[in-house]
Amino acid sequence: MSCPDCKSAAARRDLVKSARMVTIGNPNTGKTTLINALAGSDLKVGNWPGTTVERLEATLRLPGKELLLVDLPGTYSLSPTTPEEALAARELLANPPDVVVNVVDAGNLERNLHLTLELAELGLPVVLAMNLMDEAAAKGYTLDPAALEKELGVPVIPLVASRGAGIEKLLGSLDQARVPALQVRYPGALESAVRELASRLEHPARRWIALALLAGEEVPLELDPAVQEFARSRRAELERAGIDPYLEIENARYTRAHELAQRVLVGSEPRLTLTDRVDRWVLHPLLGGPIFLLGMLLAFRFTFLFSTPWVDFIGGLQEVLAGWIRALPLPPLAVSFLADGLIGGVGTVISFAPVLFFLYLALAFLETSGFLARAAFIADRMMLLAGLPGRAFIPLILGFGCNVPAVYATRVLTGRLDRLRVAMAVPFMSCSARLPVFVLLAAVFFPEQASLVVFGLYLLGMMVGLLTAWLIGRAAGAAPSSGLMELPPYRLPAARVVLKQAWARTRSFLTGAGGFITLAVVVIWALLNLPPGTDMTHSYYVLLSSALKPLFAPLGVDDWRLLGALIPGFVAKEVVAGTLALSYLGAEPSAALGLLQGLGQIIAGFWSSVLATLGAVPALFGLPQLVPPAADEPTALQLALASAITPAAALAYMVYVLLYTPCVATLAAIRHEFGRGWALIAVVYELIVAWLLAWGAYRLALIWLGA
Amino acid sequence: MRRLADLPEDTPARIRALKTPPLLRRRLLALGVRPGAEVRVVRRAPLGDPMEIAVGDTLIAIRHAEAAGVELEE
Repeated sequence: MSCPDCKSAAARRDLVKSARMVTIGNPNTGKTTLINALAGSDLKVGNWPGTTVERLEATLRLPGKELLLVDLPGTYSLSPTTPEEALAARELLANPPDVVVNVVDAGNLERNLHLTLELAELGLPVVLAMNLMDEAAAKGYTLDPAALEKELGVPVIPLVASRGAGIEKLLGSLDQARVPALQVRYPGALESAVRELASRLEHPARRWIALALLAGEEVPLELDPAVQEFARSRRAELERAGIDPYLEIENARYTRAHELAQRVLVGSEPRLTLTDRVDRWVLHPLLGGPIFLLGMLLAFRFTFLFSTPWVDFIGGLQEVLAGWIRALPLPPLAVSFLADGLIGGVGTVISFAPVLFFLYLALAFLETSGFLARAAFIADRMMLLAGLPGRAFIPLILGFGCNVPAVYATRVLTGRLDRLRVAMAVPFMSCSARLPVFVLLAAVFFPEQASLVVFGLYLLGMMVGLLTAWLIGRAAGAAPSSGLMELPPYRLPAARVVLKQAWARTRSFLTGAGGFITLAVVVIWALLNLPPGTDMTHSYYVLLSSALKPLFAPLGVDDWRLLGALIPGFVAKEVVAGTLALSYLGAEPSAALGLLQGLGQIIAGFWSSVLATLGAVPALFGLPQLVPPAADEPTALQLALASAITPAAALAYMVYVLLYTPCVATLAAIRHEFGRGWALIAVVYELIVAWLLAWGAYRLALIWLGA
Repeated sequence: MRRLADLPEDTPARIRALKTPPLLRRRLLALGVRPGAEVRVVRRAPLGDPMEIAVGDTLIAIRHAEAAGVELEE
């Protein structure tokens, strides 16, 4: 039998079985698309240990060998400016791979080759994947990859990864990976200092380490203190001679990268690119603002319109399961625990999965398409008022839908402090679960100005949120966040990677935050149903609600039923209105379900969710419903509420519901992303802020409305 | 002293020096904004700030306050 691979197998023998290969490149070089093409369905998405930085990994099975492929975070240079970039340098130094695939943008060689020259100084075997050849051609560039191959002494493979072009050739060239022959020469005194310092180091990356030390960089390695001391003295010497090592090094690298790029670029007839044409509209002085708002609206509606039917389906599923449990011959307390506590808790967790999944799809599309950077560019001036970068706009606006995905959306920001500041502001954005309470109370107490009151509450939440972000920034004493970022070319994301990433991130929520949420639901269940054998009016719930009275007396709210509704509101804000109905009007009996009846309901629910998802497509482009529908006749609940408190107290109650504690799922998200301490701070801070502002609203309303 | 912050649109200029805080300088250098490079202002954002600049083949958003530290050759 003929074997086409046998001939090259001998040449590949120098690669050990299961060798490690990493991909590294500047952001926006189509690296993810390339990995998708390389890895196929084998792609695994996870996190770098101890971080929230995403890590892509795959095992490539090639004839005669296995390759473990690990993707390093996109980085412009190995002198990091963000934690993500620091990770790339640390990994290369601590865990030198067998092969480095350096992905470069063929249409932006000079900046991309800067990183290649750093890799040469690291002494690692490199293959250059010259991606996006199609875009370079569209720009009017004629390139000569062979010239670069000759200069660098490593395989240079032209690619269009989105179409899979060049992938085979890239795989075939891996065993010809070499340490680039080309080294940057630094000006006189600097070069001799580099050599002298490098000769005192043992590491294969000694030249890069020497340069980093002279530039005053942190090197993520254990180094001999004597060497470090020597580096410091040489650095001081250079500075005394009027040389700025960092700048000189960067300059020399760029100059060399420029020369290289010039040699590869054999022809250039500049043409208007797709990006130029699209940006003319998207960043237009007058149309840019409206297009930005429309895009945000579309992302918002995509997330919530497509997920709502599935959230409803999960709710229906919960009811069916609870119905089945009620049909079991168990003591009432056990039935209640299983049906309401456990299934309620797990159901709450799972009901967030569709929202997060569609959010992550929307975010990945915005990010990879290049639209996110434009949105940030347009919104930057507004966000600067709160000392935030433009990208902060995205999580904040998502917060109006649901705070949980909004907390995770803070990942679009770079830098932990900015992420944290926005995450602490997010819970003040009035999510859709709070609207029913506002509509209910506003219709009872402010029938003429209901819309205005609701709108005012949204505005108040936003202002408190931005102020919070600003305050944390001030308290941390950090320099104002930077607006500096690349505006990458417009591109279509690789569907399979986006789907896999969205699923991996959703799964990470389910496992990382699920237990905490379920536990909280069970605790609330216990409050409502214990001690055993009592009805609700004698439960711990009522005891606790009544104990809250003195605390809320200054706000004019002294009805235990209103105060009690705040407690389950901690689990999910949508239950506040439901609990009010329950405590004012009494419970509706919930029925037991037969097996077949339940199955019928599940199937019907699934089908109607499919239909509703499809039906959401036209609604995506429809106008949003800004005014809540007005109730015709006052309901029994509204009449009961009207006699319970005064309008001023109702306003205070609404302000309190708007601002008090993030719901448990949001807290779980904050804890998952930023740790337990910050989740705790969020609760305490928001309880205090809510009380103070509700008190303020009450006093103002008393003056304005009369006692 | 000519500064990037004041450069009119579509008027190419050459960068002379980066008089910015260290972290910003590093970020600028990482993106290819370096002394000797040619820079052009593509447009300003609808609200007047930030602005979009082109350095080589890279398009970059930069705030007015940040661009004030980028000095240009006369």
